[in-house]
Amino acid sequence: MKKTVFIKAIAVLFMAGSLQLTACKNKSKDAGSSNTDTTTVQTQTTAPVEIATDDSLTTGVRDATKDYPGVNATVDNGEVTLTGTIKRDRLTNLMQSLHALHPKKINNNLTIQ
Amino acid sequence: MALQAKYTELINAAKGGGVQNLQVREQDNVLYINGDAPSGAVKDNLWAIYNKIDPDYRAGDLVLDVNVSAAAGSKAKVTTQESNLNIRKGPGTDQPIVGKAAHNEIVTVLNQTNGQWWLIKTDKGAEGYVYSQYLTPQ
Repeated sequence: MKKTVFIKAIAVLFMAGSLQLTACKNKSKDAGSSNTDTTTVQTQTTAPVEIATDDSLTTGVRDATKDYPGVNATVDNGEVTLTGTIKRDRLTNLMQSLHALHPKKINNNLTIQ
Repeated sequence: MALQAKYTELINAAKGGGVQNLQVREQDNVLYINGDAPSGAVKDNLWAIYNKIDPDYRAGDLVLDVNVSAAAGSKAKVTTQESNLNIRKGPGTDQPIVGKAAHNEIVTVLNQTNGQWWLIKTDKGAEGYVYSQYLTPQ
């Protein structure tokens, strides 16, 4: 009698285990296919942003800031950092010139008068 | 995606204003908006919205590169603050000055060498490169 119960218990455990295994299998399959979909969409819509070299940025920044005597600019790894002073009515014009140079980002630490 | 939400008004204004080749991309916590504006008024409007969302452009989380192009042979006005505009032999402030265009003078655009420097000719015949920030296509 005891032996039969034991065998039944083993059989139930085994069945439960195999069910679980099947469930996991299906899950990972689904996850795998949705990952593939996401990758496809990304490659279709996103081209990397073009960032200018530091040499080209340095030349561009020199030209752009030439008529702004109070403004100092440094270029490092694509980032342009502005310090010094500027009048508020000229800030937008300077920023327009700098944004067109394809920098990675612009840090505006200018004191605005 | 968070930055696109922050600058939604700007992106919608670019679409609504007829900006061509519009690209909106987010990379390393900076949003990049590129395109060709149909007029200086559309570009100015985008910058006004940018300045409203991020006063004095302090956040450093947007690169707005939307510029107005001028066809070869078209006219442009010299929009310096008040001074004359230097015409240079080549595209760069290290190039020698070969002439001047007066404030508010109308010149002919011969070639857009790059985003910063345009080759122009004045009615008096002076020809060379000027900084495009000081030209407004007519």
